[in-house]
Amino acid sequence: MDLPKLKLKSKLALFNALSKVFIVTTLLLLVPWIVSEITIRDTDDLLIRKLDQVIELVDSLGIDAYINMDNEIKAFGSYNILKEEFISIEQLERDTLIDIIQYSQRIIDGELVEYRVLSYSIKESGNQYLIEIGRSISTIARFEQNLKQFAFLFLLLIIIITLIADIAFIQYLLNPFEQIVKKLKNTRHPSSFDYTPVKTKTIDFAYLDETIHSLMYKIEDAFTNEREYISNISHELLTPISIIQSKLDNIIADKTLPDAELLKIMDSKHTLGRLTKMVRTLLMMSRIENEEYLLTEKVELNELIKNVAEEIEDKIHAKNLELKFDLNKSIPAINGNENLLFILIYNLVNNAIRYTQQGHIQIETAIADNQIVLRISDTGIGIRAENLPYLFSRFKNFSNHKDSFGLGLALAKKICDYHKINISVESELEKGTCFTLEFKN
Amino acid sequence: MRVLIVEDEKGLATEIKEFLEKEEYNCDLAITGNEASELIAVNPYDFILLDIGLPDYNGLDLIKEAKEYNSEAYFIIITARGELEDKIKGFDLGADDYLAKPFSLLELLSRVQAITRRKFGQQSSIIHFGNFSLDTIKKYLEYEGQPVDLTKKEYKLLSYLILNKNRVLDRLQLTEHIWGEFYEDDYDSNYIDVHIKNIRKKLAEYDENNWIKTIRGIGYKFEI
Repeated sequence: MDLPKLKLKSKLALFNALSKVFIVTTLLLLVPWIVSEITIRDTDDLLIRKLDQVIELVDSLGIDAYINMDNEIKAFGSYNILKEEFISIEQLERDTLIDIIQYSQRIIDGELVEYRVLSYSIKESGNQYLIEIGRSISTIARFEQNLKQFAFLFLLLIIIITLIADIAFIQYLLNPFEQIVKKLKNTRHPSSFDYTPVKTKTIDFAYLDETIHSLMYKIEDAFTNEREYISNISHELLTPISIIQSKLDNIIADKTLPDAELLKIMDSKHTLGRLTKMVRTLLMMSRIENEEYLLTEKVELNELIKNVAEEIEDKIHAKNLELKFDLNKSIPAINGNENLLFILIYNLVNNAIRYTQQGHIQIETAIADNQIVLRISDTGIGIRAENLPYLFSRFKNFSNHKDSFGLGLALAKKICDYHKINISVESELEKGTCFTLEFKN
Repeated sequence: MRVLIVEDEKGLATEIKEFLEKEEYNCDLAITGNEASELIAVNPYDFILLDIGLPDYNGLDLIKEAKEYNSEAYFIIITARGELEDKIKGFDLGADDYLAKPFSLLELLSRVQAITRRKFGQQSSIIHFGNFSLDTIKKYLEYEGQPVDLTKKEYKLLSYLILNKNRVLDRLQLTEHIWGEFYEDDYDSNYIDVHIKNIRKKLAEYDENNWIKTIRGIGYKFEI
């Protein structure tokens, strides 16, 4: 069954409410029956008590006080004006023992009235008499109605009180749990995790909290180790690279070296250059991860774009491309690290140049939905759809591409993450690629 | 010129020494900060190349110290970390230039020469070739008093070739000099070729001399 996903708190509250609804419905169905059972018993008890009183009276006053023997009809009847109750005594012809309570109808003053009637036979002065005591159904019904109303009100009150109490208790009970969830939600990175323990008297939650804390510690540790590792290794690598490069430079400076050897050394230098660039980029990435760059500079994006363009225009001309601008002059300065943002834009534009053989590269700034948007689009060879998801990964090899995108875009992504810039890419093969940056601040 | 090389990595230090000595610089080596500290206290240096990542000494302290005894010395800081803060602190303390490892020795030499020109107000900041004159301070090229229209990068490239005249410069060295830290891992060497082509075209408008020689498979050489 496909149930919607809900918070634990909501689920418990929902279950509580549902179970209460169930109880109420059951009670609502049962209450009329119970109430009528109670009223009948109550009425019957009343009738029996009245009968005892009547019998007592008859015993003390004698039956004659009620029944006039001279009269043709040997009977006595008393009704109250509202016909709520009646008592009747009449002589029975035969010796019959009667002792029942039942419903029966009587005509009183020409009006048909429904009664609950207690019929009881007694022997008095050698004669058999039947005493009947009745209570009108409408009276009973009124009583029943009152009782029902009271019962409903009471039920309702109980339910409301318990429901509120339950929800409050669930809220109170699950509060630590919610705090744990909130902590996790607020954590973008283990280093930003809030390690203050959640206050709780529930063992399970305390255990959960502790476990998450210790896991977070481990993850953070692993992260730190990896960062330090990359940072150290980059640093350690740069020194030997530097030695090799110096040695090669010294060999090249030797003017007696034959051309063939010189070419081989040039080749090595080229390779070493690639290695250097890679290590430097890795180092920069790990430094960003270590948050070594300040983000407090006021950066004018349009200015920055112009600086990048100036730096890169020779490459544009060399490939006979055109660099177009569509800059929104009113975009405000952003907070960030100018150096990193320069590298970011430079890398993206440089990448566009590299994969564009003809046409143009366009840099666009705009404001959309209160966000600054920067777009860099080209008319280049495009990127295969299956490669798009891996574009920003380190050292991802593209089987159908001669050279990988290397670290340039991974660095771009890192700079974006550091500045909380959302970077996305759209591309169509042989048509071009468009990188979009959305500045969130 | 007397140079002190302070570098804990002996392999690198000796290479720098070898290279600079070929260029007629008189070099001393210090492998530790303490050694450097002693040498600085005793000898007058024109240049101090300082690796600030010394294991036994805070390189930045060494600058302060050296400024006491060797107030005339010029500093080029070398670091493998490339931290911006170190760079800024270094400049604050009076460092004159900054190189991130790994650097090409030619780049180091050209930085040394640039500082020399700047600080010593060298004989002439103007280099003549043919009827051209290149002003290395004001950064422009003239032909018989007429300015030659070069882009920034073209000027940078040409002046680098001229300053290292009669020496073969490979494409990597040129790329590194022009684009600095932005040079690409796939280094698009053809950009250099395009620039050279443009420079040649511009120079050819004034005289027929082929100043920039192509050295096949390696790079270019400016011949005077």
